Amino acid sequence: MTAAHIVLTSGFSRRYTNGVKEFDIDATNVRGLLKAMDQLYPGLAEILEEETAIAIDGELHEVVYTQVLRPGCEVFFIPRIEGG
Amino acid sequence: MLTKTMDPAKVLKVVGTSPVRPDGVPKVTGQAVYGADTILPGMIWGKILRSPHAHARIKSIDTSKAAALPGVKAIVTGADLPDHKFEYVGPERVAVNYWHMTRNILAREKVLYEGHAIAAVAATTPAIAQQALDLIHVDYEILPHVIDVDEAMKPGAPLLFEDMITRGIEPAPTTPSNIAKRLEFSVGDLAKGFAEADEVVEMSFTTAAVHQGYIEPHSCVARYGADGQCELWSASQGHFVVRAYTAKLLGMDIGSLLVHPAEIGGGFGGKTVVYVEPVAVALSKKSGLPVKIMMSREDVLKATGPTSGASMTVKIGVTKAGKIVAADSTFKFQAGAFPGSPVMNGAMCAYACYDIPNSRAVGYDVVSNRPKSAAYRAPGSPISAFGVESVLDILAKKIGMDPLELRYKNAVSAGSPTAWGPKHAHDGFKETIEALMKHPSYKIPLGKNQGRGVASGFWFNGGGESAATLHVNEDGSVVVATGSMDVGGSRASMALMAAETLGIPYDKVRSTVADTASIGYNHVTGGSRVTYATGIAVVQACNTVIEDMRGRAALTWDVSIDDVIWEDGHAKLVAGHAGDHAPLSLAAIAAKRAVTGGPIVAEAAVNAGGMAPGFSTQFYDVEVDPETGHTKILRVVAAQDVGRAIHHDYCEGQIQGGVVQGIGWALNEEYVYDKEGHLSNAGFLDYRIPVASDLPHIDVVMVEVPNPNHPFGAKGVGEVNIVPPMAAIANAIEQATGKRMTSLPMSPPKVLAAIDG
Repeated sequence: MTAAHIVLTSGFSRRYTNGVKEFDIDATNVRGLLKAMDQLYPGLAEILEEETAIAIDGELHEVVYTQVLRPGCEVFFIPRIEGG
Repeated sequence: MLTKTMDPAKVLKVVGTSPVRPDGVPKVTGQAVYGADTILPGMIWGKILRSPHAHARIKSIDTSKAAALPGVKAIVTGADLPDHKFEYVGPERVAVNYWHMTRNILAREKVLYEGHAIAAVAATTPAIAQQALDLIHVDYEILPHVIDVDEAMKPGAPLLFEDMITRGIEPAPTTPSNIAKRLEFSVGDLAKGFAEADEVVEMSFTTAAVHQGYIEPHSCVARYGADGQCELWSASQGHFVVRAYTAKLLGMDIGSLLVHPAEIGGGFGGKTVVYVEPVAVALSKKSGLPVKIMMSREDVLKATGPTSGASMTVKIGVTKAGKIVAADSTFKFQAGAFPGSPVMNGAMCAYACYDIPNSRAVGYDVVSNRPKSAAYRAPGSPISAFGVESVLDILAKKIGMDPLELRYKNAVSAGSPTAWGPKHAHDGFKETIEALMKHPSYKIPLGKNQGRGVASGFWFNGGGESAATLHVNEDGSVVVATGSMDVGGSRASMALMAAETLGIPYDKVRSTVADTASIGYNHVTGGSRVTYATGIAVVQACNTVIEDMRGRAALTWDVSIDDVIWEDGHAKLVAGHAGDHAPLSLAAIAAKRAVTGGPIVAEAAVNAGGMAPGFSTQFYDVEVDPETGHTKILRVVAAQDVGRAIHHDYCEGQIQGGVVQGIGWALNEEYVYDKEGHLSNAGFLDYRIPVASDLPHIDVVMVEVPNPNHPFGAKGVGEVNIVPPMAAIANAIEQATGKRMTSLPMSPPKVLAAIDG
């Protein structure tokens, strides 16, 4: 399994991961990714599910468990946007 | 799940045409049923008492005289609604705090703006309800108020919430203020970036709060049955969200509330929240009768959300060669009376068109004694663009570069970084600039007092949750149902995508919007998400039906389903298959539905990602009358990347509509408050939106850079078009007059003062 590279915003990292912004996590989909992050920081997965969208190699997505992660992809958790 | 579903080589027969919309004839003949048109047996009328004060403590509310008035059936105040825990729920930009929301629906401890709802009456006639409102006595302690965002941020400003501590600052402030939140997005090294610049411009701007200006005021009818089951007829941008908010605010089970989607007379973001719906349900529950509430125009302007006005400072540095090397901005947005302006969007969109290695955008969400802000087309982005795109124009002049050229040199494309982290994944921006560079009108010489201005804009566009069902009738006609409110012609676009996928004519598809009990959850029609997300659901449902049809044809022909293809609306045997069966049309298969397995139905549900952003670049030619300061728009050319137009004319209409609203925002629209904090222009005579005679033909250039994640390449088209107009018009006025306008609206008195000054 090749790791996905995870990046959090400064705000999220300050609040939830003791300032750690970037991670490499072995996961093939978003569910696996969240599970792994929750093991590192218990409770983080629920917060990310509730508050963020993700950009996978720049493509914006809602947080959906089944979303596939390409090996070596870059995943940003960013604030979720709603429009008019 | 993201799948590259689009075949760019496929020739489309239906998608991209411009048939008559399914809801067109009912609307032009007056038969369409809007929220205010619903009438139920035994229905009574609700009216709402609103605050005459901008800021006051409610010492007591006495409804006894009103209750005694013959014909009055129910009265509610905030005390009749369950209170809610103080907590922010959901994504940061749109975090809902039901403690705030219930106080906006009906005030409790304080009124926070003129027009704030305090109590509601339901009576047998509107006149009696109005008479009863006059009999309600509210004892107020009038408090100092604050309207302006810069004033509201000052120490010592009147506080709307005496315990509000700014979020987003660490360590947290120890004293309360009207600043609800601070946020920041930054990349690179600002000092280094500005040191590399040959020219730096720093300037401050203000924008006015503007209303979405939808023609239909908010209205609804609620019927709360003795069995606890409730139905609600409401014009909104999302009946599922109306259901969720109303149920939550009233402590109801979601399943007990059925919301019917009425036709909507415009929303533009302003109908993604609730105002009258929970009140009508509460009145109906109390009276046992159906209750209708209709806002007046004055109610709409005084008590529903405009988008934020703002104050901002923008500083950008550029090299002589035209490379933007640094940008640093501060955006202060009015949230209205409760936190929740679109300042985060504004900060994220501010530089999103450009590849800037060093940037910072700081945002402040600030409460003041105005109605709570609501979403409005690309919420936040037009506001920050006014400052950023104005400064870019100044910089282009300083380095002697065409303003389109400067934008092109710095334009993002797939792989470019963003200020908020991830890289852009889609192209489309450069193509909008190229479209204007090549446009013949960009070279038309200008006359005296005339000017030309350009600007660009970005909007994320949306995806998210949608559901669709598809039914094949026995004659081969098809019903497509979704739960997405049709605000901008989505019934037509859903029918087009279904017809294209199934291979049948457009007029064989009936496209409808189903109520909350008849289809799965659909998120709001907003953010430019429906053609993308709901469209994907419709196409998935069509593909499921096609599989079903192939199976039924195989059953009829006694062959394997693998030997059957679907082509041009017919099941056919694969080439070379032995046998002699004429193709079966959808109608032929539908006619035998009973013996082949019963009703032909499919449903699909998605949480769609992979949406591509919208980019727009526009130029405006204006003529400024030096005697009056009046700005006449002579010419508009608006280029926008639409991915692929599903309904050609409606895409064009969306772009023209955004441009028109932007022209109003630029030149005329503003909330005018008197010294007491009263809104002085709560009507369309004084709150002046553009009319046809103000406008030239709006020339639309649709750039099509398809999004491979959508079956037909669609991108949202409804939002980004409103981002460039204000700055582009300011840039044009500067060229015409030599004066830089930094405050919206650029109304004749302001322009004249600038010319004379």
